[in-house]
Amino acid sequence: MINTVEKYYFDGVWGNTYKTTYENGEVLFVPHNEENRHYQEILEWVAEGNTIIDNGGGE
Amino acid sequence: MALSTIPFSGLGADASKQGVNFRNLIINGDMSIAQRGTSVSSITSSGYRTMDRWNFATDLGTWTMSQETDVPTGQGFAKSLKLDCTTANASPSAGNFLVLEQKIEGQMLQHLKKGTSNAESLTMSFWVKSSKTGTYICELLDTDNSRQISKAYTINSANTWEKKTLTYEGDTTGAFTNDNGESLRIDFWLGAGSTFTGGTLSTTWTATSNGDRVAGSVNLADSTANDWYITGVQLEVGTSASDFEFLPYDVNRTRCLRYYEKLEFTSAYDTIFGGWVRNGSDMGAVWQYETIKRANPTIGLSADNTYRINTASGDHTNQSSGTSNTTKTRTQLGFARSASLTSGQAGYINMENGNGNAYFTADAEL
Repeated sequence: MINTVEKYYFDGVWGNTYKTTYENGEVLFVPHNEENRHYQEILEWVAEGNTIIDNGGGE
Repeated sequence: MALSTIPFSGLGADASKQGVNFRNLIINGDMSIAQRGTSVSSITSSGYRTMDRWNFATDLGTWTMSQETDVPTGQGFAKSLKLDCTTANASPSAGNFLVLEQKIEGQMLQHLKKGTSNAESLTMSFWVKSSKTGTYICELLDTDNSRQISKAYTINSANTWEKKTLTYEGDTTGAFTNDNGESLRIDFWLGAGSTFTGGTLSTTWTATSNGDRVAGSVNLADSTANDWYITGVQLEVGTSASDFEFLPYDVNRTRCLRYYEKLEFTSAYDTIFGGWVRNGSDMGAVWQYETIKRANPTIGLSADNTYRINTASGDHTNQSSGTSNTTKTRTQLGFARSASLTSGQAGYINMENGNGNAYFTADAEL
């Protein structure tokens, strides 16, 4: 089960990746790609009313 | 005589059914590849664990899944997959399920000519052993067209390896999509609630009706005395089973790497990647996978402090890490600490001492 999803910025640039934290503590870096099953999970999670964190690259 | 000029018939009338010609649609059917680990306990939910390519889909009971050396005698197998019930549930809720499954890409299945008048029959063969005798179900699920077919098999003798063969006729309805997405799912059902068992077993291809998928199945989760082993899983075109198609270990492993790859380091100071300092706080590196992936993979990393940043200015335990711009062939890695790095310097990442193994995973499973 997903706990949080955050856009992952690398040197201030978003590289099409979501840092995803699961309830069991696992952290995965998920590409923005609909062929990826973890990204499909994120889409479902968002459809349930959850929000992706975006700090705009400010660390 | 050049190999290419040897007539195929010269290899023997049955050569096409006994040699290595990649006739097995199942990957890692001999359970020999287990990149994720060889044993996982306390399983109560679905996921890929232990043997590559095999997804354990469950919300029924609690399980230990492991790779074992208990195999049928004299058949050439070295490993089997074992499921051991550690907390029973003898009264499944309607929607409960307990399935070992493998998902297959549509582009791997075009030669089955599904959805045409020339659709090929398929034959499934496997070795199985369980403490629980009775009727089990093996289902083919067409996820492109919401169609399915189920066949029952019986485990006759407890704790005895038995070979099972099931034939499924070709389906003239519903073509598989020719892409890298899931088209066919092989489901070894081990238990289910009434949602899946409440009807009559569908033994011919038909539009999926959940109640007809698993009717008549045992519930392997009904006792902690229950376990179930399987190996030698082969799904092939035709109405008869050939001998299991053993692949060289490296070929079998490479086929698995298309879907999951783990790069692991176990000795302190093992060199991992060359890199460069991009600014005063982080080093960049690139992981080029051993094998191109099915799709852009999800990247997993070990704990931040398992990596060490090395430059001419000094060596430092990594404090944070991440990846971006991931493709089917490589991902860009970043290793950072709050300060102490000099921009422009070359360096390398290695494994830190005393903080556990350093690893990277790339997951492109279906």
